[in-house]
Amino acid sequence: MSPPRLACLVVPLFPLAARLRSEPALRDEAVILCEGNGTFAHVVAATRKARKAGIRPGFTLPQARALLPDLLTRARDLESERAAQEALLDVAGTVSPRVEDAGDGVVYLDADGLERLFPDERDLGRALIAAAKRESLPARCGLASSKLAARVAATLPDSPVVVAAGGEAAFLAPLPLVKLDPEAEIVETLARWGLSSVGDLAKLPAADVASRLGARGHALHEIARGRDPRPLVPRRPPPGFTEGMELEWPLVTLEPFLALAEGALERLARRLEAEAVGCARLDVSLTLEPEGCDTRTIELPAPTRDVKTLVTLVRLGLEGRPPGAAVTGFSLTAHPDAPRKGQLTLFGPAEISPDRLATALAKLFALLGPGRAGAPQAVDGHCPERFALVPFAPPPPPAVRRTPRTGRGLLSVRVLRPAVPLEVLLEGERPASLRALASTPPTDGGGRTAVDVAGPVRVASGPWRLEEGWWQEAPAFRAYWDVELSGGGLYRIFRDEPGGEWFADGVYD
Amino acid sequence: MTTAAGLSLSLSRGRFAPACLPTGCEGLDRLLGGGLPRGALVEMSGRASSGRFSIALSALAATTQTGETAALVDPGDHFDPQGAAAAGAELSRVLWLRPNGVKMALAATETVLATGFALVILDLGLARVSRRRFDDAVWLRLARRARVHDTALFVLAPYRVTGTAARIVLAADAARAGWDRSLLDGLSSHLVVEKNLERREMHLEGKASLLNLSLLDALQAGKKGKEEERKKDLLRKEEGKKENAAAFSGYLSAYGR
Repeated sequence: MSPPRLACLVVPLFPLAARLRSEPALRDEAVILCEGNGTFAHVVAATRKARKAGIRPGFTLPQARALLPDLLTRARDLESERAAQEALLDVAGTVSPRVEDAGDGVVYLDADGLERLFPDERDLGRALIAAAKRESLPARCGLASSKLAARVAATLPDSPVVVAAGGEAAFLAPLPLVKLDPEAEIVETLARWGLSSVGDLAKLPAADVASRLGARGHALHEIARGRDPRPLVPRRPPPGFTEGMELEWPLVTLEPFLALAEGALERLARRLEAEAVGCARLDVSLTLEPEGCDTRTIELPAPTRDVKTLVTLVRLGLEGRPPGAAVTGFSLTAHPDAPRKGQLTLFGPAEISPDRLATALAKLFALLGPGRAGAPQAVDGHCPERFALVPFAPPPPPAVRRTPRTGRGLLSVRVLRPAVPLEVLLEGERPASLRALASTPPTDGGGRTAVDVAGPVRVASGPWRLEEGWWQEAPAFRAYWDVELSGGGLYRIFRDEPGGEWFADGVYD
Repeated sequence: MTTAAGLSLSLSRGRFAPACLPTGCEGLDRLLGGGLPRGALVEMSGRASSGRFSIALSALAATTQTGETAALVDPGDHFDPQGAAAAGAELSRVLWLRPNGVKMALAATETVLATGFALVILDLGLARVSRRRFDDAVWLRLARRARVHDTALFVLAPYRVTGTAARIVLAADAARAGWDRSLLDGLSSHLVVEKNLERREMHLEGKASLLNLSLLDALQAGKKGKEEERKKDLLRKEEGKKENAAAFSGYLSAYGR
């Protein structure tokens, strides 16, 4: 049985690449990434422009600044690195379902069985590099039959590098021993023996190496001979997609935060699109100054990848409930869900594209607020103003267009919510004249009742008694009348029995 | 020759759908030459109790009965789900939006127009709308969206607001209530076509029609709906009993009892 083929994706200078992915504007600047505080701060990685000025990893911050005074400095951002690593795993996941997370910008994947998609392994490597580039990660790729050979191949220039099956030992032989990443103690011993390359170690008898260097030496010898015993350990995909970053300074206003959040949401949307899923729920976690965390969840009416909608929802959430302290970091986790598929039909009505509907519903939800958009539902009861809203999920259209019922029109009532208080003059028990009380001035239909009811009554019909909820604290005991005013207008009014107040709760229109 | 891609595009845009959406009122459909035209803005103005809300609900019911989806933008919060269900609307195919203000209502209308609903109704309520609250160009934008997405946009307002953007303008006026022995029977609404750019060859402009809206029919329709629902329930129960009996006889025969 031939050994399995493995591919390795490596992002050189991974902490810096992760930071530049979060702040793409810095890509062409002289930037260094530092670790440590005060005089202990030292350079971890530097961009090409900074390296050209002579700055190298290990320099102290003053040394680097002496070489390049305009240098931009950033601290290592573990949140960005975690998100970049997840994005790299997603890239590998677009090609193979068996992906191993080796951490710090290194990912292994099972490349077996991809011959039909990629007849040449070099094409597979190129596709992986291109997919990583779309995620703003400059990756290199190596393919071999062992993890170590693939990893070493991925660090070489002219990526992708393919090591033929069975050729791992010959490929590794001319490389220096440090490429095997051995322990310092073993390196010293091998140097005393006069060994400098991997091939020198591979030539030694296995039994002699094991007797002198123990189990660790034996394992290193096996690797040098191209036999990497470590199997691929596939990861379990996480339930959500996370993006975020730690901020250089605390943010106290909303707009700068939203600008950063929009970038993170764009990256999230790209990753969701690669998996052909939408965001059904968004978890927003804010790190607060000096310590503490604010976590909130935004439920979406339907899965979506629309960045503007998600930004609006985050904005509304933060405006509605501000975090209460300056924000020093954030993470956004999108919980994926498969979008519904629409079915086209020749003879029936066209169904609304589920993706478009989901985006529109999320936008409307963000625009109008909760409880203001949905499908109406009839509710059991007697009070005419009753209603219920449920999430809008229309059933699939019929296979053949149905014919609607036609005939005389049916008279409907325009419900007034809330009911308009009235001043009513009576003749006996019957209303003779109406006037809306001044406390409810007509508005422009801005979500409030806007009706100007006034005038003598031409015809009044009633009363019809209504009784509901007598077992409740606020039962409804009403006497309803249909009235036509002399100046026009047909209203449904009622007298609240316990208090004796009059209200108009509907217009026949 | 139609390609598969072209066919798919036509289907998704509803090209094979009828050019008009029936309103459910015979008189109005005749007046409009078939119903509310798709891809056009139709405006109906009239004061309180002119019958325009009933006509809108009737159009909503007729559209959902064919299996299409419809949206109602209702800033005044006037919609009555029970009444609409009695008028025959399939409420699960209706998107009800309750924006807080006219400006928000216009923004919501713009969003739903771009989604692909067959019918979008914008009801501006009963009171006057201050024109300073929005730009007149908004109606041209909404009309263009309706045309691009092949949606019938039906605007109800107490007076004309859409300016030149509307392809059809209807005025509902001189409504009279009908009383039958001190019981409210219905409403007669006088509809006039003030403008019609849709079917000029039919010379519909200036034509008028008397539309009778019946309250008693509405009550009977509600009762009829409930009665039909009750009959369906009974049928379902009967079928369930038959299935149980069949399952039980199968069980007996399988065990040879």
